[in-house]
Amino acid sequence: MSAYTPTVTGTGAKATIQRFGGYLAGMVMPNIAAFIAWGLITALFIEVGWIPVDKIGGWGDFSGPGLTGIGLVGPMITYLLPLLIGFTGGKMVHGHRGGVVGAIATVGVIVGTDVPMFLGAMAIAPLTAWIVKKLDEAIAGKVKAGFEMLIDNFSAGIIGGAMAVGGLYIVGPVVESITTAAGNGVQWLVDNHLLPAASLIIEPAKVLFLNNAINHGVLTPLGAEQSAETGKSILFMLETNPGPGLGVLLAIMFFGPIALRPTAPGAIIVHFFGGIHEIYFPYILMKPQLIAATILGGATGVATAVITGAGLVASPAPGSIFAYIAMLPKGGVWGPLLAILMATIVSFVVAALLMGFGRNARAESDAEVQAELKAAEEEVAELKAESKQQRP
Amino acid sequence: MTTIDPAAVKKLVVACDAGMGSSAMLASTLKKQLAKSGIAVEHTSVQGIPADADLVLTHAGLLDRARGVAGSTPVVPFNLFLGDPAVTKVVTALQNGRPFDV
Repeated sequence: MSAYTPTVTGTGAKATIQRFGGYLAGMVMPNIAAFIAWGLITALFIEVGWIPVDKIGGWGDFSGPGLTGIGLVGPMITYLLPLLIGFTGGKMVHGHRGGVVGAIATVGVIVGTDVPMFLGAMAIAPLTAWIVKKLDEAIAGKVKAGFEMLIDNFSAGIIGGAMAVGGLYIVGPVVESITTAAGNGVQWLVDNHLLPAASLIIEPAKVLFLNNAINHGVLTPLGAEQSAETGKSILFMLETNPGPGLGVLLAIMFFGPIALRPTAPGAIIVHFFGGIHEIYFPYILMKPQLIAATILGGATGVATAVITGAGLVASPAPGSIFAYIAMLPKGGVWGPLLAILMATIVSFVVAALLMGFGRNARAESDAEVQAELKAAEEEVAELKAESKQQRP
Repeated sequence: MTTIDPAAVKKLVVACDAGMGSSAMLASTLKKQLAKSGIAVEHTSVQGIPADADLVLTHAGLLDRARGVAGSTPVVPFNLFLGDPAVTKVVTALQNGRPFDV
């Protein structure tokens, strides 16, 4: 209990996983606005949406001057979103030039399949940018003066074009089979009532700052593919449910260590309304047994969603109650909200039990908590000293 | 231990995993607190910590990665996003222009 943040300072392995996950999430997260635009347009204007409009939603039989007859929903998810991810993935590797070749190559995987190619974009775009980067490094300083622009444009154009063709014939079909397998795996978990067990992995990973890696690196791309087919996906609700964190924060507010109680209301607002879940991680790292509360709360939320057939149209990002409300599908309003409510209740009760409904807190005097804070500061100082030694 | 001279701190960077959520929140708080000092406060992802940062704040859970990117720039870890003693110490020292150890 005296250890302020016992595990989070972490090992190299954790940092590596964080970095790889952060890399995947880093391709998606800067483009979340586009996902939200697509989600809102889909929720509103498709045939089963809140305000069906055929020309926008791209359904039914319509035609008119200048209209392609396909609406906005399909092209946005098929082309816009993977291209943005591809551009961003390329840009992360090799700047704007990398972004351009990443986008070129992404078109190949898009047209090579009939599922939205998020994972394909995440694979081929950084690879293409990396190839161009290596080439640029290899020929750096060897280009005759005056030929830089010619070489730059044609090297990137040729490599990007070649990768687009390769993506069409090779990467697209491979990634499609991987995507299909992953989708089938999720469906198998749903069919066998095992999906709530995902919380066993997701909730502990969240507080180790793998939240973005899991949600935007894995679940958002898979969910978007599912949502494009069926109009909603439960995968958007696995990591983003604000219920488990809210339950823990409420329990801290009423029954937590006395010194921590006043910090909880502010944290609740940031967490539940602002959607910044990171705010509750430190409370769990401080009292690691509370992870049981978020796991059980999360599993309850997922189970509720499975039973009610709940799903969201697009990823609620950040995981705020407002984002949830904006992404509710017509005809499926109550399932997601019930999932949040049930998760909150279970998480709150378990966390309250773990803290003895405040009896332990009264026993712990303020002095003890102060000592804990002091110990934490010392620990941090130690860590700094350690890292000093590691540094050259 | 490195002693930081507040006069040499021109840019303070708050880093989090994505550089969009928690770092933005803490940075906006620090911006207000440090408005008079003339120190620029920015928020980024740990991967994107800029080379011209003079001081980096990040959550203890992201410390390894932040150090890897920040190189020789001092990185101060904290645990709480609201009211962390390590953050308070840095802010108070910067406000008062007192040198401090990190």
